[in-house]
Amino acid sequence: MTDFSIRSDNVDVEQIMRQIRARIREKRGVDYTEEEIRELANVKLEKFLDPRGVRSDLLEQFRRKREASLPPNFKFEDTTLFETHRGLLAFIRRLLRPVLKLLFNPNPLIDALNIQSKLNAQQAALEPLYYEVIHNLVLETTRLGIDVKNLKMRVESMSSRLDFDERRARALEGVVQYRPGAVAPLQPPAGAGDSRDSRGPETPEQSERRNRRRRRRGRRRPDDRTGSTGLPRASAESGESRGAESARDAEGPPRNDSESGYSSDRDLSPVHRDPDGEPSES
Amino acid sequence: MKLAVAVQRYGADINGGAELHARYIAERLARHADVEVVTTCARDYVTWKNERPEGVEQVNGIPVRRFPVTHERDPNHFGRLSRRVFDQPHSIADELAWLDSEGPASPAMIDYLERSAAKLDFVLLFSYRYYHAWHGARRMSAKALLVPTAERDPAIGLGIFGPTFRGVRAVMYNSHEERAMIQAATRNEDVPGVVVGVGSDIPARSDGERFRRKHNVRKPFAIYVGRIDENKGCKELFDFFLRYANTFPRGLDLVLIGSAIMPIPQHPRIHHLGFLPDEDKFDAIAASDLLIMPSYFESLSMVALEAWALGRPVLANGRCDVLKGQCIRSGAGLYYERYEEFAETLYALESNGPLHTRLGRNGRDYFTQHYTWPVIERKYLDMFDRLKRDDASAARRGVEPLGGWLARRQRKQQAGAEVLARIPSTAVIPGSGPASNLSRSA
Repeated sequence: MTDFSIRSDNVDVEQIMRQIRARIREKRGVDYTEEEIRELANVKLEKFLDPRGVRSDLLEQFRRKREASLPPNFKFEDTTLFETHRGLLAFIRRLLRPVLKLLFNPNPLIDALNIQSKLNAQQAALEPLYYEVIHNLVLETTRLGIDVKNLKMRVESMSSRLDFDERRARALEGVVQYRPGAVAPLQPPAGAGDSRDSRGPETPEQSERRNRRRRRRGRRRPDDRTGSTGLPRASAESGESRGAESARDAEGPPRNDSESGYSSDRDLSPVHRDPDGEPSES
Repeated sequence: MKLAVAVQRYGADINGGAELHARYIAERLARHADVEVVTTCARDYVTWKNERPEGVEQVNGIPVRRFPVTHERDPNHFGRLSRRVFDQPHSIADELAWLDSEGPASPAMIDYLERSAAKLDFVLLFSYRYYHAWHGARRMSAKALLVPTAERDPAIGLGIFGPTFRGVRAVMYNSHEERAMIQAATRNEDVPGVVVGVGSDIPARSDGERFRRKHNVRKPFAIYVGRIDENKGCKELFDFFLRYANTFPRGLDLVLIGSAIMPIPQHPRIHHLGFLPDEDKFDAIAASDLLIMPSYFESLSMVALEAWALGRPVLANGRCDVLKGQCIRSGAGLYYERYEEFAETLYALESNGPLHTRLGRNGRDYFTQHYTWPVIERKYLDMFDRLKRDDASAARRGVEPLGGWLARRQRKQQAGAEVLARIPSTAVIPGSGPASNLSRSA
């Protein structure tokens, strides 16, 4: 993995961002931006709409419909049949309308055409929605496909690591030799009451002293080498004192104050940390 | 020298970006010239309701002349017109109707500016998209300097604004990205322009400990200052921060300062303190580890500049080209475009001491170099001198006419969103290293 150093005053933000992105890519395997996913989805969509690829007559028609501009919808109201911009003609039509209605009833025709006009408008409004639904489905399918691919890669990687660890564990087990006397033989659990009884009744002072001794022993850890605070050495020993530093040291994740910037991969790997915020090997 | 500053709203209690910008500039230029502010009686930027008295009053020693707004904004009507001009082919008449509907329509203000033109050297028109700036630029283009405060929204793609940008005497840009966007949209490269921005009244001494004591904030925290609004990217910020908080139970807290117009998630590490006075705001920034700017659209983030002035790095939304460009040019901030980057960059700023320190130091240098008041004032005064020296032909150029009655009604204008989509959205990045030639030319 690449590390960047903060050694001079000229911090190149773009360089830092490139390294952060490279780190993310390494962690996630194949990494795509939103734009790349959209591009991939568009490619698939074209394929999807291509009748040669899918052999769907419906989709071919759908695609043709999108390409061919539809004629504008004709709004049809109850006055449409009699409309005119000439005032005189409009007057004559209005005058003769009762005569027309004497010969036949135009109202059902007007109603039917009015309904048809509304249906056309609804259909026209739905068409882009259908396309959008298909588009979004393909987009999500593409995204899921990429995720599945990434997960497969990670599973493969983890299983190979597991194999390696098992082989190493077996090899180490083979190396270990039993030497009599190296480890004290296990004693049968002696009854605490027995030993106490043998020394006679215990005074309250003695009991308190023993408890204190036990507590002290309990705090001691064989691998405690970082100092009494339990902090990593980088935080405990060095660092640039800024406001609230003590609060951070006590509660926050360790600030790596070493000159080299990101000192290790774990320092910059949020996804590799367990829920307690403690670094863990991945 | 006599100057007029025309802005849609004005007042010591108004904290909107462009309005605060206008007030700061008016107060600073008053040290070098006679400045009068011309504005409306509106206080609310949504309704433009006349809430302040008409006439002249003094605000921080600057005379402010207010004119009434003829009609309040009808949100439904404005929404319909916005959809028409932003999303459909339309006419110039539609755009003019949209402008009138957006407001604040105050013909009296424009008439006053025109009458006073003879006595004035220059007029600074703030916010290109509002009624006063458009009409003011057309009526007195020979003396108009435009401070566009343009964000990346479809309004920049409307046809009526092209002649305005090409017809004014000069344009005072907020950022390199804003200039690139406006020049791509309106082809106004011939018009004198300079990237200025605005300074801020940074207190000589801010006290982070005072903030911690006053608001009982003990743990290290990242801060967001501004309106807590989905349009400002706060929803995404909350989503990302909650995921980050689950990954790092002992990491930074998030402190929010500003009025909320969206629900804030209830989480022990998210603290909303509401609107705070300036002293507390600066103390809070000083106490914080970093500032987060999640906004997608900014012409200039004043709060980011304030954080840099106080030596705090900024974590910005990388989809906002202005913020991203500023982070890169200043070398004082990181940016993110998705959760993984948010987590990595926030963790880097939280955990990497040298990186944090150097970004903060770069921010302070960047602010000192480009955004302190002497620098800002000098840029304005230099522009005034330059325009006075320029030949009279430039002053007579004027704004192109819109066309006759029929021409204005032909539906030949492209949808604003379509025009905007063709304008590349990229941060203007210096050629070599941070704070290079491009920054110096600003």
